[in-house]
Amino acid sequence: MKRSVLNLATIISLGLILLTGFIWCVLKPADELSTAERRSLQQFPSPSLDTVLSGEWMEDFDAYTLDQFPLRDHFRTVKALWQFEVLRQKDNNGIYIVDGNVYKLEYPLNENSVVKAANKLNELYDLYLADSECTAYYAVVPDKNYFAAEQNGYPALDYERLLSLLSENIEHLERIDIFDCLSAEDYYRTDAHWRQEKLEKVVARLSERLGFEYETEFEQETLAPFYGVYYGQAALPIASESLTILHSDTIDSAVVTNYETGEIGGVYDTNDFFGLDPYDVFLQGACPLMTIENPNSDSEKELIIFRDSFGSSLAPLLIAGYEKITLVDIRYISSSYVGEFVDFSNQDVLFIYSTLIINNSESLK
Amino acid sequence: MLFSSITFLFYFLPPVLLLYFAVPFRAKNLVLLLASLLFYFYGEPIYTLLLFGSALSAYIHGLLIARFRATKLSRVFLVSSIAVSLMILGFFKYADFAIETVNGILGTGIGLLNIALPIGISFYTFQTLSYTIDVYRKKAQVQKSFLKLFTYVALFPQLIAGPIVRYTTIENELSLRKHSLADAAYGAGRFVLGLGKKVLLANAFGLFCTEFRASAAPSVLYYWLYAIAFCLQVYFDFSGYSDMAIGLGRIFGFKFLENFDYPFISTSVSEFWRRWHISLGAWFRDYLYIPLGGNRVSLPRWLFNILVVWFLTGLWHGASWNFVVWGLFFAVFLAMEKLFLGRVLQKLPKFVSHMYLLIVVVISFVIFNAGSIAEIGTDLSSMFGLAGLPFSTFETRYALSSYAVLFVVAILGCTPLVSRLYKRIQNNKLGFCARAVSPLVLAALLILITAYLVDGGFNPFLYFRF
Repeated sequence: MKRSVLNLATIISLGLILLTGFIWCVLKPADELSTAERRSLQQFPSPSLDTVLSGEWMEDFDAYTLDQFPLRDHFRTVKALWQFEVLRQKDNNGIYIVDGNVYKLEYPLNENSVVKAANKLNELYDLYLADSECTAYYAVVPDKNYFAAEQNGYPALDYERLLSLLSENIEHLERIDIFDCLSAEDYYRTDAHWRQEKLEKVVARLSERLGFEYETEFEQETLAPFYGVYYGQAALPIASESLTILHSDTIDSAVVTNYETGEIGGVYDTNDFFGLDPYDVFLQGACPLMTIENPNSDSEKELIIFRDSFGSSLAPLLIAGYEKITLVDIRYISSSYVGEFVDFSNQDVLFIYSTLIINNSESLK
Repeated sequence: MLFSSITFLFYFLPPVLLLYFAVPFRAKNLVLLLASLLFYFYGEPIYTLLLFGSALSAYIHGLLIARFRATKLSRVFLVSSIAVSLMILGFFKYADFAIETVNGILGTGIGLLNIALPIGISFYTFQTLSYTIDVYRKKAQVQKSFLKLFTYVALFPQLIAGPIVRYTTIENELSLRKHSLADAAYGAGRFVLGLGKKVLLANAFGLFCTEFRASAAPSVLYYWLYAIAFCLQVYFDFSGYSDMAIGLGRIFGFKFLENFDYPFISTSVSEFWRRWHISLGAWFRDYLYIPLGGNRVSLPRWLFNILVVWFLTGLWHGASWNFVVWGLFFAVFLAMEKLFLGRVLQKLPKFVSHMYLLIVVVISFVIFNAGSIAEIGTDLSSMFGLAGLPFSTFETRYALSSYAVLFVVAILGCTPLVSRLYKRIQNNKLGFCARAVSPLVLAALLILITAYLVDGGFNPFLYFRF
């Protein structure tokens, strides 16, 4: 083959990629959302003299070019495959896969964060519980790395140290240990969360300590296809899974009040399954303050749960034992305001947080 | 604007290339200049005026030096030119460093100016200096067209990360240059290879170093891996940028000189510096070391010359004492090699002298990357087992296993092995196939690079982690 033909082939192949990319980038309408990343995408920034001279417009434009790049998720797949299959790297952007399960590295242990989380619980105790007759416990939900990371050669949190730091720093609360109630199979393959239908042992352990009655018979409703949060982050061709929600007369008759939106509804809203985050099917997703009321309750017991998103799928399973459950998420409401909405008298109180939150507790207000 | 960005690759470069090759030759410099100004303005809106000022100063001083060549005024204008360039560089790059040093020594509390460092100022200042000095030395013709001189100073392929292209290198090409299919193909291929070095290798080792710095379980082995990874990062980053600059230059009809020549295969520090950042070493040699007397002076004076040159070489890399220590570290080895070590190294097996060079270079880059003088001590003592760290940890083994293939690829990529292999294949029966697939390989590489760049914007909303 003549050198000139090869030169021409080089220029045409590279030129075509650049030119096609240029035309496509310019002509492609901007997408609003990334379902893979579950966030709004950067839109074309409007220039002004100030933003251009300060360089702010350029930064936004760079973000726009990345967010709106044609076939973006496909390119991310190419990168992930190259990283895993060719370079044999063990993770891609912290995502790793063991036996078809997708995990995200959570490492190293941030001791300051753990102590801060403990202090936050102390602060809440002093503010609301010290002078009340409430019975209070805390529980820690292990993230699913606990069951797979170290065993498969990945760096993992020092969970023992995490628990001992909490124990040393939390002053008035006892821990309910639920680590032994869970295994890797109790979590979704493509998501960080635990499966609601796998929480029987956890509920039993909580019941044992808090002294409430719970149901064991449920009807299952399966929703599919479910792509968890790690599915989008992995950018790999991974099979979808299903999400199961548990029904009972008690759960289905429970009334949920969202204090942020004022909406009153049921425990599950299957429309949310088809939204940006399917996990929102449980208790409408993120919410600073909500109550679940059990109109058929024989008990007058009430429960207050300080929780993260793991609490969304757990709380419905506890409602049979209580007249009312109040769920507080102090990532979205300042601790000092909680007292304006919740009266602490003689309820059961459970602080339940995942190790992911405890190791990144800056979000707790 | 960075070469390794979607903005450059898919929004800037294609229209610039189309426009450049569409206009007649007389308009090509103007297109290049405007593109270069846009390129610089995108990263440094306000400092574009500084770039213009530097070019204007060089242009006027060049004219004055030539105009008064037969008189002493010529020298005055040369000194003035150097003074203006160094004052600009000194103020914008070293003012806060000087204040911090004075405050540290005298205990004063002089407030910092907090001046943002203009991108590429070290490169374009050295280029304008080379122009006026070469005009004074009659090595270069004075450039009477400001458009051409400004195009030389601002030429975007080499503006922000070198190589330091001397005016004499492209003096003729500014007025008359040829464009050919062969040059464009070579340039495009070289650009993509350089981009690959930067995006696929340098960035990966950058991530390795970041992960190392965040490590909760460091070890002696991890420190050594970090040191090697940082060497590889710097090499592939810098040589990648040089490849991109050379490639882009070739597309536009300029032939820039090589800036790297497999430095890690050297067997002495002096050889290393003949292969590493060649344009900088040559600049200091021609514009500082030789004017100081070079090596044709007494031993004490020669040692002084070496110290001055390497003090400034270190300082050129950054306004921090660790860079000065880095430069002086090399000065010590260069002096020793000149005095006695060089002769010893020549007698030793090549493997031994090569190991000597690698250890010196690895240690030097630990100094280079330290955040402070104290950190140099911490890093080096950890590397040599003096900090009480274990030899290896779980985390170290994870990092090593995760990056093993990359280390192997990168280390092979530091040697001429791949290039030799390709040339050998070209000359045998497989040559046809190798040549035929090379455009496809380059295209695949560009797509892979794009994938890495696009993934760089991957930014999941963190709430959904929990």
